[in-house]
Amino acid sequence: MINRILYIIPLFVLLATTSLSAQEEMPKNMNAETVKGKAFISYPSYSGAPFLNMKYLMGEIEFLDGTKVKNIGLRYSSYRDELIYFNDYLSAQIVIDKISLKGFSFTDVNGEKRIFRRQNYDGFINGERYFEVLSDGQISLLAYRKVDLETCDPSFSKLGLAYKQSYSYYMFAPGKGYSLLKINRNSLLTKFDKPNQRLVKKTLRKNRVMITDEASFVLAWNVIKENGITINF
Amino acid sequence: MKRRTIILLLLFVALTGKAQEKEHFSLFTDRDLYISGETLLFKVFVPEDELSGIVNIDLVNTKGKIITGISKKITDHQADGFIDLPDSLSSGCYLISASTAINTTLTVKELYICNRFTALPESNIAIRPIVNSSVIEKPAVSVQIDGLEKAYKTREKVNFALNLLPDFISQIDNHLFVSVAEIAPGYNPKTFVKKAKPTANRSIEKDGVVLEGTVNDIKTGKPFKNGIVYLSIPDTCARFKYYITGNDGHFKFSLDNYYGKIPVVIQAFDREEKNILKIVLNLRDSLTSGVPAAFEPWTIPAELRKTTANNIEAANFRKIFSRQELAVAAPLLKKPDDYPFYGLPTEVVDPQLFIELPNFAEISRELLPGIKFRTYNRVSVLQVFSPSKHNYLNEKPLILLDGIPIRDLNIIKDLGTKEIDKIEICRDERFYGYLKFPGVVALNSTKPDNTRFVESEDLIKITVDVIQPDVTLNIPLEQRLNELDLRKVLLWKPSVKPEQTIRLDLETSDIIGSFKLVVHGKTKDGSIFYKEQTFEVN
Repeated sequence: MINRILYIIPLFVLLATTSLSAQEEMPKNMNAETVKGKAFISYPSYSGAPFLNMKYLMGEIEFLDGTKVKNIGLRYSSYRDELIYFNDYLSAQIVIDKISLKGFSFTDVNGEKRIFRRQNYDGFINGERYFEVLSDGQISLLAYRKVDLETCDPSFSKLGLAYKQSYSYYMFAPGKGYSLLKINRNSLLTKFDKPNQRLVKKTLRKNRVMITDEASFVLAWNVIKENGITINF
Repeated sequence: MKRRTIILLLLFVALTGKAQEKEHFSLFTDRDLYISGETLLFKVFVPEDELSGIVNIDLVNTKGKIITGISKKITDHQADGFIDLPDSLSSGCYLISASTAINTTLTVKELYICNRFTALPESNIAIRPIVNSSVIEKPAVSVQIDGLEKAYKTREKVNFALNLLPDFISQIDNHLFVSVAEIAPGYNPKTFVKKAKPTANRSIEKDGVVLEGTVNDIKTGKPFKNGIVYLSIPDTCARFKYYITGNDGHFKFSLDNYYGKIPVVIQAFDREEKNILKIVLNLRDSLTSGVPAAFEPWTIPAELRKTTANNIEAANFRKIFSRQELAVAAPLLKKPDDYPFYGLPTEVVDPQLFIELPNFAEISRELLPGIKFRTYNRVSVLQVFSPSKHNYLNEKPLILLDGIPIRDLNIIKDLGTKEIDKIEICRDERFYGYLKFPGVVALNSTKPDNTRFVESEDLIKITVDVIQPDVTLNIPLEQRLNELDLRKVLLWKPSVKPEQTIRLDLETSDIIGSFKLVVHGKTKDGSIFYKEQTFEVN
């Protein structure tokens, strides 16, 4: 009996494999590799980090037409506000054309997903910028992760120049534009009416949120959003 | 023990048997008799388990040669469209087939097409296929046609309703198809199902037509690995796709955002430029498996002869007055990138703003600083100066003429300022997916066409029939009393939402004869039902 079953099993396996091969799908790379860009030219070597992530991290890019390319090595250059990806096939570092992208995301070394969106900035030095979305909604909380090349004390950098963080934070709503924020309690409170300011203070106290850094600021923002307190924007 | 083995074997037989009993396409046309030059309307119900997103409808002659065909996107397991019947078709029996790239079951319907210049054969004999088992549909008891009289006058308003039982509505899969068209007396063509041999190397067409083929080494004739295949679609903004072949030399391009007919240029080359390649496209030009094994002579009935003669007159009149039978709906296109695949140019030069120069060598010397175009021993070389590398790039840049990459610089060497409208230059190394372009020089000619490109083994110029856009039957909204109304199709509603009462109205044309109202639909269990009623127009 067992022998007979053993004869029948390969038949079933054969049947399953033939039906599977009939359902073969197009290769994933067909027409998908349409990333446009130019060759990355290394930045001058000074103290500090010109990149948000020094190593290439696996992420996803989204083109303007909504198509996505997943699992590509990405590195965000805070210095030039550009996205660099590593093309394995060509062994080349490529700066992806900013105008071709809607946004991108990657998972950082701490396992946190970082989402960036390309938006037009209409303030001083206007143009297309990549903003990190710290909190999304009708009013979004965005961070512009800029690094500037600045003069510094020769004790810090022998060449007298260093990459220094110059992050900016904004509230953004479509149609209303950007409003600059500072990562402190007072800056947040100024975005509310007097009666609401009390409510914000009370809510933050109740949720034991103390604004000391970016993470706690985002936490405070989300707590306020959850409580439905109207932002004056 | 024996019993268990028998059960297992029976189970196996049952499973394989079920797999073979695959649901087939259900194909319907507006009429059965056509005059060459007319438009054929069709509706297809697609099996629910169909993997392909595109259905191919082909008009085939009795020898299996595809005369014309279209591809249509499947929506809710249904598709409808039209085929323009060529004017040159000789009178005789033809077949219309519904299939997909991967489906091995063809649904074929027999038609009679009469040439409008030569009319029916004088012998009065035609051939018809011998079909042993034709597709059988179930008449729908739960559909009632109310208000449709037995006879109407010409140009009379007709109002009727389809009444569906509530229980039946829930059984209907998606939409109903309703049509009212002239019938051919004495001619009852059959629809049948044929098995086709599975075609090797065919891909599933999910969102668009897939153009595929093989690249072979011209010397050895063997498939070429790592060959680069370019597909260019001339457009206001150059459309470009590429494929890097594997061991089997196979390539494919999904043309999923294109409608109608598009001109395409396909080129293949060896990255190392050591071998000359040959492109072999997998084009469907025959459908022999759809042709029945035998045909039999058939005497054309006198009544049908009379109707055909009238139809020829009507078709000629419509041709002379060029009536637009169909209104084409503009397809919803996914917004393509509004900048070329090679990136935004760093410089744009309009040579017509400068003095007249006779050839590209002169243009590059006078108007394009940093572009070196030289010809030594009849071999032309073009180099681009890269500011970031402070030198001329050693490799050959990407050179385009009207969006089509060129590898033989002789094509552009004689172009002067009169022929060139615009020159776009990208000085840096550009990347497009897995391709690297050491600089880009894109020329736009004043009269864009691809005649400068000579067809060869590694360059093919073809026009591809991609997805047909949706159409609606153009029925005149107002009566034009001083014009003849020679519509043979009075109503064509390929997608009617099933409701308890469906009210429909139409107006008869100036055609006198028998007309038939047909309602077709598909139940959720996959069976096709119909309801029909004929009426006379006199």
